[in-house]
Amino acid sequence: MRRLALTHPLHLVIGLTLWSLWFVTIYGGLSVACAVAPPAPEQGALTTINVALGLLTAATAALLGWLAWACLQAARDKPGRSRFVAAVSAGLYLYSAVATLFVGIPVIGVPPCL
Amino acid sequence: MLAGCSGDRSILDPAGQAAREVVWLWWGMLAFSTLVLVVITALWLYAFRGGRRVARSSRDEQRIARRWIIGGGLLLPGLSIAVLLVFGVPVGQRMLPLPLVDGQQAERIEVIGHQWWWEVRYPDAEGGEVVTSNQLMMPVGEPVDFHVTGADVIHAFWIPRLGGKIDMIPGRTNVIRLEADASGMFGAQCAEFCGAQHAHMQLHVEAMARDDFDAWLAARQSPPEQSGSHDAAREAFVEHCASCHRVAGVSDGQQGPDLSDIGDRVSLGAGRLAMEEGAIAHWLRHHQQLKPGNRMPSHDHLDAETLDALGDWLEALSP
Amino acid sequence: MSETAQTATPRDPQRLHEDMHEVWGNPRGLKALTIVNHTTLGLRFMVTGMVFFLIGGILAMLVRTQLAFPDQEFMAPEIYNQVFTMHGTVMMFLFAIPMLEGLAIYMIPKMIGARDLVCPRLTSLGYWCYLFGGIILTSSLFLEMAPDSGWFMYTPLSSGEFSPGPGSDFWLLGITFVEISALSAGVELVVSILRTRTRGMSLDKMPLFAWYILAMALMIVVGFPPLILASIMLELERAVGMPFFEVAAGGDPILWQHLFWLFGHPEVYIIFLPAAGIVSTLIPVFAGRPIVGYRWVVLAIIVTGFISFGLWVHHMFTVGIPQLAQAFFSAASMLVAVPTAIQVFVWLATLWLGRPVMKLPMLWILGFLIIFVCGGLTGVMLALVPFNWQVHDTHFVVAHMHYVLVGGMLFPLMAGLYYWLPLYSGRMPSERLGRWGFWLTFLGFNATFLIMHWTGLLGMPRRIYTYETVMGWDIFNLLSSIGGFVMSAGIAMVLLDIALHFRFGRPAPQNPWNADTLEWTTSMPPSAYNFASLPRVDSRHPLWDDPELPRTIAEGQHDLAVIDHGRRELWGSDPLTGKVREIVHLPGNSWWPLFASLALAVVCVCLLVRLYPLAGLATLAAVGFLLRWSWENGAHPRAAPDAQVQPGDPPLHSRTMDGPGLWAMSIALLANGSFFLSYLFGWFYLWTVSPEWRMPDASPLSLPLMILAGAALTAGTLWLEKLVRGLRRQDDSGLAPGLFAVSALGGVQLVLLGVVTWQAGLAATETAHDAVLMLGLVYVLLHGALGAILTLLQGLRVGYGYVSATAPFEPAVVARLWRYNLVVFWVVVFAMAVMPIWWGGGA
Repeated sequence: MRRLALTHPLHLVIGLTLWSLWFVTIYGGLSVACAVAPPAPEQGALTTINVALGLLTAATAALLGWLAWACLQAARDKPGRSRFVAAVSAGLYLYSAVATLFVGIPVIGVPPCL
Repeated sequence: MLAGCSGDRSILDPAGQAAREVVWLWWGMLAFSTLVLVVITALWLYAFRGGRRVARSSRDEQRIARRWIIGGGLLLPGLSIAVLLVFGVPVGQRMLPLPLVDGQQAERIEVIGHQWWWEVRYPDAEGGEVVTSNQLMMPVGEPVDFHVTGADVIHAFWIPRLGGKIDMIPGRTNVIRLEADASGMFGAQCAEFCGAQHAHMQLHVEAMARDDFDAWLAARQSPPEQSGSHDAAREAFVEHCASCHRVAGVSDGQQGPDLSDIGDRVSLGAGRLAMEEGAIAHWLRHHQQLKPGNRMPSHDHLDAETLDALGDWLEALSP
Repeated sequence: MSETAQTATPRDPQRLHEDMHEVWGNPRGLKALTIVNHTTLGLRFMVTGMVFFLIGGILAMLVRTQLAFPDQEFMAPEIYNQVFTMHGTVMMFLFAIPMLEGLAIYMIPKMIGARDLVCPRLTSLGYWCYLFGGIILTSSLFLEMAPDSGWFMYTPLSSGEFSPGPGSDFWLLGITFVEISALSAGVELVVSILRTRTRGMSLDKMPLFAWYILAMALMIVVGFPPLILASIMLELERAVGMPFFEVAAGGDPILWQHLFWLFGHPEVYIIFLPAAGIVSTLIPVFAGRPIVGYRWVVLAIIVTGFISFGLWVHHMFTVGIPQLAQAFFSAASMLVAVPTAIQVFVWLATLWLGRPVMKLPMLWILGFLIIFVCGGLTGVMLALVPFNWQVHDTHFVVAHMHYVLVGGMLFPLMAGLYYWLPLYSGRMPSERLGRWGFWLTFLGFNATFLIMHWTGLLGMPRRIYTYETVMGWDIFNLLSSIGGFVMSAGIAMVLLDIALHFRFGRPAPQNPWNADTLEWTTSMPPSAYNFASLPRVDSRHPLWDDPELPRTIAEGQHDLAVIDHGRRELWGSDPLTGKVREIVHLPGNSWWPLFASLALAVVCVCLLVRLYPLAGLATLAAVGFLLRWSWENGAHPRAAPDAQVQPGDPPLHSRTMDGPGLWAMSIALLANGSFFLSYLFGWFYLWTVSPEWRMPDASPLSLPLMILAGAALTAGTLWLEKLVRGLRRQDDSGLAPGLFAVSALGGVQLVLLGVVTWQAGLAATETAHDAVLMLGLVYVLLHGALGAILTLLQGLRVGYGYVSATAPFEPAVVARLWRYNLVVFWVVVFAMAVMPIWWGGGA
């Protein structure tokens, strides 16, 4: 598949769509994991579930951060409309990356299934 | 102001650790929010004053605009919510029913919501389960785990002065841990809309010292004493009421509230009517006016004498 | 060609107007019911919305009267419960959303330089569905059988067992009916904004209001289907006994809450975004300078649109969800404060750098700011889980919600109404009476709801019909009630002001506020065609660049000023660049939308009174009307009398492969996909979480037969795609037989699937598992039938010459439906028949 140019308007929605997918995955994954194999409450926050969610969060945030950087580069040397689309996309990717980290941070300290 | 905050179901007058932490959160958030609101409004009004505008280059304008947007639009909310989560998440975590450290068991009380009354059970009471309704006694100074569920629709269990609420959902059991600091009486009320008489689904909560609590439980281990003078009333009860109501040693109905210690309670109809002499007979006559829609059929077919006798007998039911 | 258009000789505006009116003008008398014009229908939406607003307001006053004093016996509890339920329902579903849709329907074409919305008959269908649904729903109040389970209708309280009367049915059927209206508006607004902007209006030159409406419309498209699904499920449970939410049968009442709030939370932003769009439109005008940070605002709009779908569980923090999951939703809920703050500070910076004037609309904006910021701050508090556990379901939440909704919607709406009033009436509102109206509303509102926060903190739960003095809430409730009545006096004064201004207002000059957007180039009072010629746009502020635009437009100096062909024309432009691609020709006035919605109203009433056979007949009638409507499309003589265009102009869209209809189909399928995903969510949710869910040891669905049905569907889709590829090459050989064959393959799929359903012997009224399966099968069956029928009609249209190598458009639209059906079918096979083999049974 041809690579999607970084000035394509689809980038305006890809970032937050990825965020949404990640969000649904961690919420759904947590619910299913807690229904299927809840860890003992004594384990606290250091469970397989937390680690898996944390890794997924970090990976998603890294991907989004990279896309933000790429769009920002693309915005640099473009005129007018292309610059507009790339710059707004970069902002949206950045926001999505920060939102991923911010929403995901509780996996560090909160036990999963209580 | 403190007087304005009190009340037997006021969140602002906490009587337990969980509620107290939330109140501190609230006052902190209120102060900060007021500051934000006042500053933003003042800035807007200042911007509105119009007139003497300096001519700026578009570059300057862009710089000023960016400063506002990044400072006010990103940093202000970003930092605020980060701080809020740092304070808020641990508070929430301390409310979790985690295992207690030294192998202690939290007292377990089961509360079941019905349209529109409360069933309260003490499954771990020494000597066997104790059941009561529309009143909840709990020991003071120790964590109590409330295991709640709904029998018909969704209700919510909430003792405002002790801490947060939890829904009572048919088919599920939720657990909430609360602790009372000092003995006293608290108001509680169903919080999730549950139908016609949602307003009159109140619960009388009393926290008492451990010894008193144990004594209270122990007193309910044996059926209430029955004096001979109430035989007629008891027969009428067995005939007309027993299929729905339980009175220990007399009947075992499960539809309506357990009445074994009704003489000992502070109110009738889940908070609708204060308990005083003659109150039960009054309730039996007029309950559909006092609490329209409640599930008890009217007793118009019973004569006044029987109702009075029933009232007298029930008022005497006390451990 | 644009150069020639720019320099076209001026024509007599009056003559041009008469010629345009000939084609676009509205009929009078009974035929006024056939009008599809966006100006007229937008106005009808808004006037109807106002009527429902007054009904909702009266209900609110009844509530405040009941709560003014302790132990009041003003209303019996069962009446009170109906009143507060209907207050919320009417305000949300019959006022807020339709009102803003009406505003968008009215304003959007005028702002983007179009003559009408792209699916005019859909506008009309939307209006009638809204009107009939609203009437059915409110009639329940007068019959004293209104819904009484609260506006979010939590089951089991709203179920057949605990609400045996027809109240819940009124809600479920009426609201679903009204939502057809919201969805149709959503679809056509998206397509109109993306595909019919005037020449040169690229994405970055669009008025911000159009960005807001684009986001709102997309959110409607994605956000409403979960509620439609939930309503259908609950109605099926009530009417037929399919136990989706019944614990004992394997259902779960919490599923209702998830589906409801999956809609319910985005809905708050569906209401807020257009209102914020009004603010972003007005502030630059009254500050006399362009908005600063256009890009920031676009970013904030997109962020809000997405994040608001990740917050729904914050309405359910007390249902006992694991705390980690609550923390996710808590953090996401707080994140939505960021885009809101960006907008607040963009507005502030614009005022700061401009020369603001305090006219009446700005007063309402200032009121909006104070109230909305306050509501936003309490919103952040509520997002904090421990605090939420305390104040959830108390009057604190009631106060918060009114701060957000009244502050975030009603106040900007009033600002917008005052701002755009001259555009409609040609007169200016009075500043004096208007200011009185504002101050009474503002002070009354704060007296009611600021105090109500406190009442909530003192422990007063919401939705109780009475309370006792000992609880200590008396004085606060009394003050709230007094405030409520002051506020209604304010609203009454505003309405009086608006009514009087039609008679006494001073005549408005052209562009009275010195605005920058295209709607102020249209005539006052409005014409049915908006623009006699479509201007070219080169910046975000066309009217500031060229104040002469109103004249040159009326003189026909711009594009598409020729009308003697009798077609209703506007530009079909590129969604990104705004370059012109084709001429879109719109259908004229039509009875079919009215007939279709009347038939649907009959369906609704028949379901209410449980006359199921008649409901079935009416459904068939509605389908018939809709298909007849679809027949008058494209190359049908009523849709496009002739296909000739002016030399140099692009072709008519029905003669290309790229009309807006493709987009309309895609957006409609997006809504459909949201519906289907909600359904899948329901399936997996019940499977994993429902306390009493029972999975049979072996799936009752025959996998081989399903695969066979899927093969037929796949073959049909591939064949159809091949035909479409042929049309793209202008090759229509074997088109009609091909379409018939594809339709037949669709028929084969239906028959096989019918056999699967029949063989499965589902006990849909016994277990939630079978009920969910049944629902999924019916969904796939209906879609298969729709695909087959539409393809059959396409084959017939080839015979009539409406579809051919020269009019190749329609099969491509139908092909999208087939592709959708294909994906959905295989997902269903996998989720319902394959996955249970691996993880089903004893688990």
